[in-house]
Amino acid sequence: MVEFLQFTLSGIVFGMIYAAVALSLVLIWRGTRLLNYAQGGMAMFTTYVAIEVIYRTGSYWAGFVVALAAGIVLGAAFQVTVIRPTMNKPPLNGVIVTIGLLTLLEGLAGIFFGGQYRSFPAAFSVTGLKIGTTPLGVSRFDVFTAAAVLATTLVLAAAFKYTTAGLRMRAAAFNATIARLSGIRVARVLTVGWALAGLIGALAGVLVSPSTFLYPNSMDTIFVFGFTAAVIGGLDSPVGAVVGGLLLGIALSYVGGYLGSDLTAVVALGVLVVVLMIRPGGLFSAARVRRV
Amino acid sequence: MSLIEFRGVTFVHQNGVKALDDVSLSARAAAITAVLGANGAGKTTLLRAVSGMIRPRRGRIVLGGADLAGRNPEQMVRAGIAHVPEGQGVIAELTVEENLRVGMMSWRGATRRPAARAGHAGAANSRAERTAALDEAYERFKPLADRRRKLAATLSGGERQMLVIARALLARPRVLLLDEPSLGLAPRIMAQVMDLVVQLSRENGLTIVLVEQNARAALAIADHGVVLNLGRVVASADARTLAADVALRHHYLGF
Repeated sequence: MVEFLQFTLSGIVFGMIYAAVALSLVLIWRGTRLLNYAQGGMAMFTTYVAIEVIYRTGSYWAGFVVALAAGIVLGAAFQVTVIRPTMNKPPLNGVIVTIGLLTLLEGLAGIFFGGQYRSFPAAFSVTGLKIGTTPLGVSRFDVFTAAAVLATTLVLAAAFKYTTAGLRMRAAAFNATIARLSGIRVARVLTVGWALAGLIGALAGVLVSPSTFLYPNSMDTIFVFGFTAAVIGGLDSPVGAVVGGLLLGIALSYVGGYLGSDLTAVVALGVLVVVLMIRPGGLFSAARVRRV
Repeated sequence: MSLIEFRGVTFVHQNGVKALDDVSLSARAAAITAVLGANGAGKTTLLRAVSGMIRPRRGRIVLGGADLAGRNPEQMVRAGIAHVPEGQGVIAELTVEENLRVGMMSWRGATRRPAARAGHAGAANSRAERTAALDEAYERFKPLADRRRKLAATLSGGERQMLVIARALLARPRVLLLDEPSLGLAPRIMAQVMDLVVQLSRENGLTIVLVEQNARAALAIADHGVVLNLGRVVASADARTLAADVALRHHYLGF
């Protein structure tokens, strides 16, 4: 029973990280129908930026903030420089460009920061919390991880729903033609979408790295799980991304805990296949809107 | 006085089809100009050229004396041109009210939060002004008021057409481009839409360019008619004159 609780809680924590990656993918997919394969690479790179800042300033929080800012800058810069020219071109062009970006980022990280595994500090204690003498399987930092992703998600959701900027982004995502004809500068809105995705990816990077070590490929697995979570939720839905992340995190935690961690990747693939067979649009895909 | 003028406009699709071939025409201010012709005549392309969705290969499009060459749709709506495209004009995933708010995105200061601007002398487009504009839209289009919180996907065909026209009007345009507003509507609803178009022209002084398959209905309300065939202007005259021209009707308008 205690074991079950521990697996569940740590599943939720990892699930929130997958949710963050999934959310960053959804933000870009919704606006441009483009899957950003460089998302993990961007998060890895901004985490390296964080670690350099932390070593130089001695302040975790300075690194944390700089990483998030770097995520915003990186996302916006990529969109403006290399993604924008691929729009109005066949979809594969954009995909190839993001894969190219991933390769570029991993190469640059190797050159600038070296290829060895580096440990990444956590903001809070990573020793397990206990109730009485019962260990919960999660640490203070894990709680912070879950809370940080949750807070970011809620703030974003509220901004999308209740602000004019949010309405502009939704209008541009749902119907770019109407948005443009209504005076919304869609190209600029898409840049903002990439910037936000960069921010959330960077957040996922600094939150996951204390438990994975940091190296140029360190985000690859997280990206795959985040992608799986996004597809489970239905690539269009931010809520779906979070729920998909949580479901996957918990499921993989049980599998890793009870059956052995070698199986997690296989099970993630299995979950993906099953969801796609039963609900090809993902769990949260809106019923297709009939257009007249 | 003509508000919009086409001077020798030519547009060629990527597949080599000449959608507009040396088109010259003008749309009078505060009048309804009907653009008629069969499928593929170039009607929709003509509207898309005005709103900046496509760039003509040759020729000039002039709005009130100003050349519109090279402007994109975001700028055209700010120049006073509202384009209601055919069919998918409603953003189904947004509520009715959100759709209408999208109509005000071209307003000056739309990028800033209204609250931040309130209190400044001469602050353009305060929140109160936006609310007033919305209320005005609901006043004119009463069925929308009852459904403001509903998703636009839940609206009927007639209500959708109402919504897209209401949204276009919220941009406060000088020129309204309507592409097949009667498409797929029941005859009674279609008559209502046509009445509305007349009202907008007569009472609000809007310049309207109306693209229609239903030539009979369009000519009945239009002041002027232009007939396109394979990208060329084959007739341009007073609406009554066109409607009375039996040969032309048979040949190009199908009634």
